[in-house]
Amino acid sequence: MNKVLYKTFSVVIWSLFTIITLFPIYWMILVSTRTPVQLYGKPNLYPTFLEKIHWKNYTRPFVDGVFGDYLMNSIIIATSNALLVTVLAIMATYALSRYKIAAAETIFFWTMTNRMAPPAAFMLPLFLLFTLVFKYGDSNLFDTKIGLILLYCVFNLPFAIWLLKGIFDGIPKDLDEAMIVDGANLFTIISKLIVPLAAPGIAVTALLSFLFAWNEYLLAATLTSVYARTIPTGLSEFVTTTGTEWGTMAAVAVVSMLPALIFLALVQKYIVSGLTFGAVKG
Amino acid sequence: MKKLLIALLVSTFSFSAMADGHAEWWKKAGAPYAGTVIQGVAENTPPGQFAGEVLAKDFEKLTGIKVQLENTSWDQMYDKAIKDMEANSGIYDFVYIEQDIVYSYLDRDFLVNITQSLKDQPELVAPMVNMDDFTTFIDYFKDGSGDVFGMPMEAFVKVYLYRKDLFGAADAKSGFQKKYGYPLAPATSFAQWRDNAEFFTGYCAEKGMECWGTTVQGHTGHPASTYEFLESIGPSFGLYNWGVTDDFHSCVEGGGSLNGARAKAALTFWTSMLEFAPPESLQSTWSEVASTFAAGRAAQGWVYGENAAWIASNEEKSVVVGNVGVMQPPTAPGVMTQAAAGEGYIGYFDGGAYGIPHSSKNKEATLLWLQYIAQSEVQADWAVAGARITHYSTYDDPKVAAMDQIADGYFTLMQNTGYLYAGAPMYPFHAAGRAAIDPFTYAALAGEMSPSDALDGACEALDKVMKDLGYQN
Amino acid sequence: MNSSKTAWLLLSPTIVILIIVGLLPFLYVLYVGFFNWMPLGKNKEMEFINFGYNYRELVFDKFFIDSVWRSIRFAIVTLALELTLGFLLALSLLSSFPLKAFFRSVHTLPLVIAPIVVGAIFKLFLVQGLGPIPFLAKELFGFKLNYMSSEAQAFWTIVVMDVWHWTPFVTLTLLAGLSALPQDPYESAKIDGANNFQIFIYITIPMLVPVLIVVIFIRMMDSLKIVDEVWMLTAGGPGYSTRFTGIHIWKEVFEKRTYGYGSAMSVLYLYITIVICWILYSVMVSRGKANEDE
Repeated sequence: MNKVLYKTFSVVIWSLFTIITLFPIYWMILVSTRTPVQLYGKPNLYPTFLEKIHWKNYTRPFVDGVFGDYLMNSIIIATSNALLVTVLAIMATYALSRYKIAAAETIFFWTMTNRMAPPAAFMLPLFLLFTLVFKYGDSNLFDTKIGLILLYCVFNLPFAIWLLKGIFDGIPKDLDEAMIVDGANLFTIISKLIVPLAAPGIAVTALLSFLFAWNEYLLAATLTSVYARTIPTGLSEFVTTTGTEWGTMAAVAVVSMLPALIFLALVQKYIVSGLTFGAVKG
Repeated sequence: MKKLLIALLVSTFSFSAMADGHAEWWKKAGAPYAGTVIQGVAENTPPGQFAGEVLAKDFEKLTGIKVQLENTSWDQMYDKAIKDMEANSGIYDFVYIEQDIVYSYLDRDFLVNITQSLKDQPELVAPMVNMDDFTTFIDYFKDGSGDVFGMPMEAFVKVYLYRKDLFGAADAKSGFQKKYGYPLAPATSFAQWRDNAEFFTGYCAEKGMECWGTTVQGHTGHPASTYEFLESIGPSFGLYNWGVTDDFHSCVEGGGSLNGARAKAALTFWTSMLEFAPPESLQSTWSEVASTFAAGRAAQGWVYGENAAWIASNEEKSVVVGNVGVMQPPTAPGVMTQAAAGEGYIGYFDGGAYGIPHSSKNKEATLLWLQYIAQSEVQADWAVAGARITHYSTYDDPKVAAMDQIADGYFTLMQNTGYLYAGAPMYPFHAAGRAAIDPFTYAALAGEMSPSDALDGACEALDKVMKDLGYQN
Repeated sequence: MNSSKTAWLLLSPTIVILIIVGLLPFLYVLYVGFFNWMPLGKNKEMEFINFGYNYRELVFDKFFIDSVWRSIRFAIVTLALELTLGFLLALSLLSSFPLKAFFRSVHTLPLVIAPIVVGAIFKLFLVQGLGPIPFLAKELFGFKLNYMSSEAQAFWTIVVMDVWHWTPFVTLTLLAGLSALPQDPYESAKIDGANNFQIFIYITIPMLVPVLIVVIFIRMMDSLKIVDEVWMLTAGGPGYSTRFTGIHIWKEVFEKRTYGYGSAMSVLYLYITIVICWILYSVMVSRGKANEDE
């Protein structure tokens, strides 16, 4: 009897939390499918999108407007960054895991502080460096995709290395040595032995790097203007001149949320270790 | 001067012949730059939308030069334009220059001298552009020697809008008379504004209508509210130029008046209006105020002129079409006399221009574009769409006259009383100074500080900025 | 084979990138922090006044110091709430009940949503004249909910948003920690006749300390960093009430264009975060050592 009561209680509590989690998101989706006139007056919670969707909220920013470009930029930047981070992290982690390096601990700690530092503290120096210092002739890093791709490495590399370190350490060194005896070079060892064995971990690393780059806002807002503008920064352009554009703003927010939803399905199990730097296994 | 004479001569030809001749000229002039894409950034306002969606397309058809105008929010527009010009990255070929920021831009030498550039490249001078047709608003974009640095694309005044249907309702009239002892009418004094606001808030509540007595542009996290106070409310109470003296002092102790009696009266009145304003007022910038009025949620209020036309005419976005009344906003005693004598002003003459940053890589094509929008003949449709007028001749256009009818004489009001309004003072530290005042405006609006304390704090903060920046001695 | 050479070779691209976009900005901001540099001022060039001039100003800058305290207060308040709530939820997930997997998945959802999107979600949800919450608050409780109308409402709205966003992190991390606990101490405690409450206080909590510290550490650091969602929702207003340090720096630097002073602020902000980070890290390490000794 007590157990049944406890179970019912848990279900009730968790249903409540589920509603709290989903309700704001549901409302955003509702707003994104309605015309301005439908949004006047009392808030209507009925799922009107079952009957009619005001697609203009989506087509106006993404087809007629610049958000199509922003979306493309986001995809390019996040994908390139994820690839770059994964490759570099595999190399670096292999070095840290297989060789005795005097400064290994220091490098470790240093990379971690990079991740923990508040981006707002780096906003100004990065802006000045990107515009005034890192330049060649007429061009500089400001408002370039490559600038952001490199920059996000600062935040993604440390965590990628942390995540992979545990996995690489778990692959017995004997296997490497056996391959060296067979005359394999370093590249072969990494690509034929390490990568296949650590494949799931590497995939998680890549996905989480992608997600971080996709979600990053502050530095993208500071360091881009038009050509490298990402979706989150575009979203913030609605902060003030909303007027009657709530629907469009909601539509942009929904689209920026989509990759997160897809990824959730893929990496849910690893989210905890990802967010805690592998300090806690999920 | 010569080109102006030619322009005047040309303008005497018949309109159709002129248009054809113009098309030829634009084709020829644009030919060397065909295929160029010029990029601009501006605030997302009705005039900006018209420029990006109509004028830019026409211009591209004629010249083959593609104009990409990015219309974004006000903050983003500044952020992007300033960063681009500071970094010299050459992203933008033209930027929107709001009247109040132009001195900053000139001070920092961001902009190309348009007059000089055209003198240097006579082949780019469009003969049909008559710079003398520009209203005096263009003077804000000139330097000491009269050279133009920005091509005006919008100018309007901030007016008092009221709901004709509400003010004309029989029960409202009798109810008001009974309660206040004088007849209901649009406000000509602040006391009357207050009474109207209080009355309609009650009237709407009684009738179960979603409406309130007045709008308030009182965003507590956006500079729009500081601007509203400094540019509209303040001046109509006699607080001019932020209350800053010629030697850059704003506190009473230093001879300034930002925390003087007039300023305090203005802020007290304004914040007391929140009681009678719709709840979204604390999150309202200029665009939300316009939306509030268009949604029929306020009986009266200060609204930027750029929105007057669509509120009065666009049935898709506005539920008050046909019921919009336009008047000059009320002023405190004495202010009108000072304004007429040129010693003060009653409100904000707002607007902006497009200018070319030094970093632009397509200056020639952009010069053509700026001249294209400066033609007198493209002005009328633009005025109808965006309620903005930058040329004298626009007032006489039949289309504009028709819109004037619908918008209850807004254009006539602007034409006749425009001289009573003024742009922002020439402060190169404009943005920094305003940012120093912002938190105090927000605090006063949120009721966290009394108007008096807020202004005492604001003038201190502004003085500190002017001192830090080296303007004060 | 010169193995250490190979190792450095493998590490070099990582190190080079981290130097260029991680270390250089840090050194540069240190450098600029010693100058007076205001593009809006009469003198627009970088100018050296005296050593530490900006820092001396900064220590007496009430608005900056306030923003730091505000951030710390925010970090502590959200941490307390999230920790309590997350702990309870994690405990409830230890036993089985219907739909548990589904509930858990939904609970994970906020973690992957970008902070800026969370800000947008809450703006649409809470803004006057659109969102359902102010409407319901008025209809059901007669409460005037308007997060831009007072300091308290703005601050607590942000707290609620943060709790919505990050409690799942605490829940899932603690759950992972709880599930990994060894079972032996529990069995011996039961044999000794301890009740559930005693087991929780004397066995679960002490064993969970390392995980708790990780959670506290990461949540503290993240809270001190907060910018995006606040920027979207209140932009620091009304007044200064939600100007956390990151937002304060953004506003000061990019509105007033005070590059020298802004750099000094950035450095001090970084320094404060590192100090807090270091204190927590030392606690972590010493606790870890203590655990090993036992």
